[in-house]
Amino acid sequence: MEPRYYLDLAAAGLRMPIGADLVLHEQDDPASILLDAGALGRVVETAARRYRTPLAFPLMDLRLEKADLLEFLGVPDAEADSYHFPAPPSKDVLERVLGSAARPFSRRIRANQGAVRYIAEKTDLAPVGMLIGPFSLMTKLVADPIAPVAMAGAGVTAAEDEGVRLVERCLELALATVLRSARAQMEAGAKAMIVCEPAANIVYISPRQRRSGSAILERFVLGPNRALKALLDEHGVDLIFHDCGELDTDMVREFAVELKPAVMSLGSSRTLWEDAEVVPKDIVLFGNLPTKTFYSDAAMPAGEVRRRTVEIVGRMKACGHPHICGSECDVLHVAESAQTIRDKVEVMLEA
Amino acid sequence: MPELQKLYDAVLNGDQKTAVAATQEALAAGVSPMELITNYMVPAMDKVGSLFECEEYFVPELLLSARAMKGSLELLRPLLAAAGAEPAGRVVIGTVKGDLHDIGKNLVASMLEGGGFEVVDLGADVAPEKFIEAVKARHANIVCLSALLTVTMPAMRTTIDALKTAGVRGQVRIMVGGAPVTEQFAAEIGADGYSDNASAAVGLARRLVRQG
Repeated sequence: MEPRYYLDLAAAGLRMPIGADLVLHEQDDPASILLDAGALGRVVETAARRYRTPLAFPLMDLRLEKADLLEFLGVPDAEADSYHFPAPPSKDVLERVLGSAARPFSRRIRANQGAVRYIAEKTDLAPVGMLIGPFSLMTKLVADPIAPVAMAGAGVTAAEDEGVRLVERCLELALATVLRSARAQMEAGAKAMIVCEPAANIVYISPRQRRSGSAILERFVLGPNRALKALLDEHGVDLIFHDCGELDTDMVREFAVELKPAVMSLGSSRTLWEDAEVVPKDIVLFGNLPTKTFYSDAAMPAGEVRRRTVEIVGRMKACGHPHICGSECDVLHVAESAQTIRDKVEVMLEA
Repeated sequence: MPELQKLYDAVLNGDQKTAVAATQEALAAGVSPMELITNYMVPAMDKVGSLFECEEYFVPELLLSARAMKGSLELLRPLLAAAGAEPAGRVVIGTVKGDLHDIGKNLVASMLEGGGFEVVDLGADVAPEKFIEAVKARHANIVCLSALLTVTMPAMRTTIDALKTAGVRGQVRIMVGGAPVTEQFAAEIGADGYSDNASAAVGLARRLVRQG
């Protein structure tokens, strides 16, 4: 996209939720749509049209790359979500994965790629791809990633500890899987890519360790994401970096400065007008209304959504940082609260 | 005489290997398991909790300390059981049906174990019937329900309702937690307590057990 594209959208006052899941669950058979590229593409298009945005944001389905990797390794699809590597993947497994980038994709991820192609070929919308970040994918491959990551950050090596070896090898698998998925989505026509790294947060990456000089963030998060960014840059595809996890200000600064995304999407635990001080002005900040609590009228009444919307729009304008007001993450359908969620999204768009 | 301070420091610093070695050394020297727990391990975990509260420690440090504590407790548990010692409480914990996230739940389980509770971890995506079975089989007095997604939070209410229907609601206190869960939501669904972090969950569990 043109360098000013997102800056211009922000300047024009665009507001948008990541709302494809809401539209998906209005359909008769959402499960079958997830396997049908054309139908999924139409859901993504409908969401973009409904919320009056030129950006066709896909479903934020962070299970796709894991399922694709595990299918190749012989894990049945039904077990993919709950599967964790019981031991460090062998060198042989690593080589097989790295050496088979041209293998066919699994069915669900193919449908997502097809939805990107649908948007690129059949609509005037900007096709946006979606990836789980390499670090977050690694955390889904391991039952208990926090302790070994912390041990690695404290200097324990893979040779010394099996847990450290497990997270390091799974990170290699994760990066290879994510890069392969990125290539396929770019081939399908994606012009921007949302990279979702919600696990790159202070729960997994200790601020205490970083303060004491550990290179843990570089080694586990920034390094792999830099490789991904380089691939996107090669193809002229914009990075939309999404992290709705709990971050500290140093992490926000590092993500902005080191990864140089076009857009940075943060969770509602951050105060965006304060983060604006550490994020360069050529990076648009996106979000970050607390849409995860929209299901509850007690925790987040419509009046509070209105108040927060007015506040964030006003504060971001006052601080002069480009901002697209929106959801802190994808707005998920909750059957019991479907109408109140939709109503609050409308409040966010109109307030 | 073994250097018992080493055990305290190892738990505080999350050094499992040293904690286990110090425990073995102390046991070999005839120090009683209860003395190790009461005078060194629990105070170390309490200190860990207070460092977490004041944001000196974060989740990774909490988890490493809990692992160190657990490593030592594994050596002590058979000796405690032989001596007829009772745990602080019996906890059944799991992430509710439909939700596969287990990091927060694992952390709470580790901290509760570190706090002297006997913990039965049912894992993630746990059906209400599994909670009921475990409560009955293990004579639990605390049930901890976790959910990370707004879409799976209603399964907390379903689980609590199922515990009522099965006639075991009265024997347990129910704690809930997870990113989208709030104190209000906990009250709405009939839970007894809510905690927004793993360290505070231990204090809450102790309070609920005391209340009976």
